[in-house]
Amino acid sequence: MQNNQLCYLTIIEAAAALRKNDVSPVDLTEATLKRIQAIDSNLHAFITVTADLALQQARQAEQELSAGKDRGPLHGIPIALKDLYMTKGIRTTCHSAVLENWVPDYDATTVTKLKEAGAILLGKLGMHEFAFGGPSVDAPFPAVRNPWNTEHVTGGSSSGCGAALAAGLCFGALGSDTGGSIRTPSAHCGVVGIKPTYGRVSRYGIIPLSWSLDHAGPMARCIEDCALLLQAIAGFDAKDPASAMVAVPDFLCGLKDGIANLRIGVPRAAWFDENLGVDEETETVFNQALEVLKSLGATIIDIDGRPFSLARKANQTILVCEAYAYHEKTLQETPMKFGSSVRRRMLEGAFLSAADYLTAQRARSMLNERIRANFSQVDIFAAPSAPRPPEAFSTMDPNEQNLRPSFTNPFNLTGLPAISVPCGFTQGNLPVGLQIAAKPFEESTVLRVAHSYEQATNWHDQRPVLE
Amino acid sequence: MAKEITIEELRTMARRAGLPLPDDELLRLLPGVKRAQSQAASLRELFTNAAEPATIFTTFKIDLK
Repeated sequence: MQNNQLCYLTIIEAAAALRKNDVSPVDLTEATLKRIQAIDSNLHAFITVTADLALQQARQAEQELSAGKDRGPLHGIPIALKDLYMTKGIRTTCHSAVLENWVPDYDATTVTKLKEAGAILLGKLGMHEFAFGGPSVDAPFPAVRNPWNTEHVTGGSSSGCGAALAAGLCFGALGSDTGGSIRTPSAHCGVVGIKPTYGRVSRYGIIPLSWSLDHAGPMARCIEDCALLLQAIAGFDAKDPASAMVAVPDFLCGLKDGIANLRIGVPRAAWFDENLGVDEETETVFNQALEVLKSLGATIIDIDGRPFSLARKANQTILVCEAYAYHEKTLQETPMKFGSSVRRRMLEGAFLSAADYLTAQRARSMLNERIRANFSQVDIFAAPSAPRPPEAFSTMDPNEQNLRPSFTNPFNLTGLPAISVPCGFTQGNLPVGLQIAAKPFEESTVLRVAHSYEQATNWHDQRPVLE
Repeated sequence: MAKEITIEELRTMARRAGLPLPDDELLRLLPGVKRAQSQAASLRELFTNAAEPATIFTTFKIDLK
């Protein structure tokens, strides 16, 4: 098998190959490290590559597997982490000069779980600084570039996760999502990413952006891989005050059950046309995806988009207040250590009042009720993952995100599980994502619908030309 | 609705908040602050007095040990 074919195996395929002794964990790790070295200088997906550790973990996995000690499907699989997951003894920068050389002394709960599952850590991935603002053009590390066209952004804030997966530089990744930071780069890079229900995955050991909106979740190249990763990291954690004591189902079981009679709510009216509205090409691709879902037995039902549209205002108000509160001391003492984009967004929180914050939290209660009320008539929601294709760096307008609908914010505000799955390309060959959201703790439904769609199309098999 | 914040008010508020921001930075910050304040104000029209904030306080923490 050629090096690039090895690097583009899914986790499921790689796990099967490992157990048939067709490849070894060391083969997978060496192939991926070689590819990182060969092409990441054009993408900047990685901030830190932990080559020695990865090879050491790979040799250990190889010994364990050959001795019959099988830790499960992630055993021997090379993965990478957004650089806000705390990793004991490994620099964790948040893509910022503020933490440029910071080395945590403990692991995030999710990192511990991945280690226990036998995954191999390739390194830490680039992101939007502190998971906020836009691509970090004045941070100490370069902005991540989109493998489909390096003149374009990846979307964020889990930028490196999206780029690394699309470029075959890792087999799975963990991102985080406060307003769309898993789903947007997944859509823009043509990969899969799920934001689980708030409380499903521990946030312990992940540098916060906004305590009440932050979600941790996996990204991968296909739905099954995403389900496997979610299985490994989900579950109650007493160290996270928001962690939910809810049983974790088998996320792979039922994946192939189909979507006959599924009712899909599309909140188009008063949302898709907000301000500049959704980009025309994106909406066309989204409508084609709905037709595929219909052909699989689902029914499309138009629902009121107003509460979804209003969610952005509450989400952004809560986010800037909480982000400012967390970073206040550093913003007072060394504000210029932050990049300009993230600094200005966070500082907005300094000029909002306690009443503003609580008003947003009250609006959140109301919008949550109104959005969830739709579940009396539909089973899931569908929308584009992003309102437009990834912008070019040269024409990027930081204010444009406020002029288009945010399709991701409502599901952070409500905590509902939501996924992005590849659903096509623009004429300029840039990926578009389909977003599916469901009731609380129904990640299995989200994964099943996305898997049905994925298997009926071949978008997830497309690869960017990089060599 | 309160009137829009001015650069002078922003300067005073920044000083009170202990933020050492030069005037050019305050000028760049002003449009975002105006947008954030107007956005927050518009949320007040959405609910009745009965609405409680979506924050949870519990008097105890579950100890599984």
